[in-house]
Amino acid sequence: MKTFKYIWRNIRRNPIRSLLTILSVGFSLALMTVLYGFLASQETWKNGAAQANRIVVMNIQGFSGKLPISSVDDVRSTKSVAAAVPFAWFGGSYQDEQMPFAQFATDPEYVFNVWPEYSIPPEQLEAFKTNRQGCVLDRRIAERRGWKVGDRVPLKGAIYPFDLDLEISGIFDSPKNTDSLYFHWDYLNEGLKQQSYPNIDNAGTIFARISSSDSIPTVIKSIDDKFGSSDTPTRSQTEAAFAQMFVDMLGNVQVLIRNIGLAVVFSLSLVTANSMAMAMRERVTEIAVLKAIGFPRSRVLFMVLGEACAIAMLGGFLGVGMGCLFLQGMNSLMPQFFPFTVLEMLGPWISYGLIAAAVLGLISGIVPAIRAAQMSVIDGLRRLA
Amino acid sequence: MSNSNAGETVVVVRDVCKEFHREKLTIPVLSGINLQLSEGDYLALMGPSGSGKTTLLNLIAGLDRPTSGDVVVCGQNLGQSSEGELAKWRSRHVGFIFQMYNLIPVLTAYENVELPLTLTSLSRRQRDDHVKAALEVVGLQDRMDHYPRQLSGGQEQRVAIARAIVTDPTLLVADEPTGDLDARSATEILELMHRLNTEFRKTIVMVTHDPNAADRARRILHLEKGLLVSEVVESRTKKAVQ
Repeated sequence: MKTFKYIWRNIRRNPIRSLLTILSVGFSLALMTVLYGFLASQETWKNGAAQANRIVVMNIQGFSGKLPISSVDDVRSTKSVAAAVPFAWFGGSYQDEQMPFAQFATDPEYVFNVWPEYSIPPEQLEAFKTNRQGCVLDRRIAERRGWKVGDRVPLKGAIYPFDLDLEISGIFDSPKNTDSLYFHWDYLNEGLKQQSYPNIDNAGTIFARISSSDSIPTVIKSIDDKFGSSDTPTRSQTEAAFAQMFVDMLGNVQVLIRNIGLAVVFSLSLVTANSMAMAMRERVTEIAVLKAIGFPRSRVLFMVLGEACAIAMLGGFLGVGMGCLFLQGMNSLMPQFFPFTVLEMLGPWISYGLIAAAVLGLISGIVPAIRAAQMSVIDGLRRLA
Repeated sequence: MSNSNAGETVVVVRDVCKEFHREKLTIPVLSGINLQLSEGDYLALMGPSGSGKTTLLNLIAGLDRPTSGDVVVCGQNLGQSSEGELAKWRSRHVGFIFQMYNLIPVLTAYENVELPLTLTSLSRRQRDDHVKAALEVVGLQDRMDHYPRQLSGGQEQRVAIARAIVTDPTLLVADEPTGDLDARSATEILELMHRLNTEFRKTIVMVTHDPNAADRARRILHLEKGLLVSEVVESRTKKAVQ
């Protein structure tokens, strides 16, 4: 019978109280895990983008501004640009799903030159290029929905007054889940012309791959200079900066989320400390007996602190586990919002969550532990008389 | 106070005074106590409530330190020992028997008895041998897997006695060990303690209000208002001490 066994027995002594404490720690840390997972996914996207030699060109007014399709050729002709494609968000719904996955109108000739890390069988790429209503999509979408080459994907326009009737020409593999479908920009533009849509010949944004990272600042400057005096001046930036722009849109939300996390840990430490204090109050004579038979202060301190930490850690494992399961589930069900796996998203955050649980245990247990260790044996024994 | 036994001296209490302080009040509890116990002595401390008998017991057991005077037990001057030294000393030399048994409810009888041994460097197997031997002495080897709630009061106290003797201490201190027991169980416990004293030569100091329990002791000391007022030895000869 050693200390850890005794600690475990004490945890099980009042199972309802221990369970409720563990659950309160668990659910709160699950919430923290999900919140931090969301933040971390932004970081993951940004960090991933930083590794690619790509830039994004858009109207200086942002997404709402127009970027003529002719600009794509101008970008392509810029020195050090290896490939460039229009990249217009379609945002259509599939059957009853409002936002089933990302859909982009692009140029099938060059799209896989801009994203060379994506792989697609050559015959499927060729079929995509030649089929005006063809599309290619991330393998994860195909697997999730049971789609295969040749299947039709009807998408109802939400932004544009034009519905797409696409046929899957190919399925591509990518290192990370893009949750994206690419189709012909021409198909969309022709459709919009037929609907007499005013904002036609719009590339949306332009994604370009630069031959070397050293050239990126020069390319960005020359592109923005080139369009500076046109009707549609541009704002070019690296893909990483583009990702950062989305992260920055959250602004103080990130600070808020972090502070909420700290507040949760603080309030939880009070809850757990109260639980531990109650447990210790009930065991005053028991602790006095342990000390009477020779248990040193340090061991009493360790036992109480160990119990508090064990409860918090059990809650921590439960909470981080639930949070991870939730994020993984969301990654499977709604990859457009949670495009990364748990490990990609959380990575060190998993250990941070567990460290937070351990700290919580220490904070909540330290006062009851010191009081137990310093308690007078005589006073403790007197309680039973 | 004379030594009633011829064995090695185990306890020496010399001119001991003990005062408690409550806010600005000083409360004298023991005054000028002198006492000597030898190996194999069996002492009953009696007296009315507040007479200081439990305080004297606590001093002898190393749970408290005297305000003045010396308490030397098993060669250790307890008044000059630190808290840590006293804890270590108690684990080696003293076994405790409480009125309310004070077993740990989440541990089995076996585990309760094993508890003091976890402070030693004994191997698991050695601990097992000691625990089983102690439970055999108290006649509960067949109840070792039972939790305290599954035992009667008398059985709980026997487990507590097994816990007290498992480290083979020189001194056993008992604070009203039969106070919470029915007559039959009390008799069993007293017989067990008598056996520990005679057969295993344990030195026992027992606080009790029960004259029947005190009669089992070799010596009976009466305290009143912190003073030793009389002593009765085995022959029931009353000696005036103060």
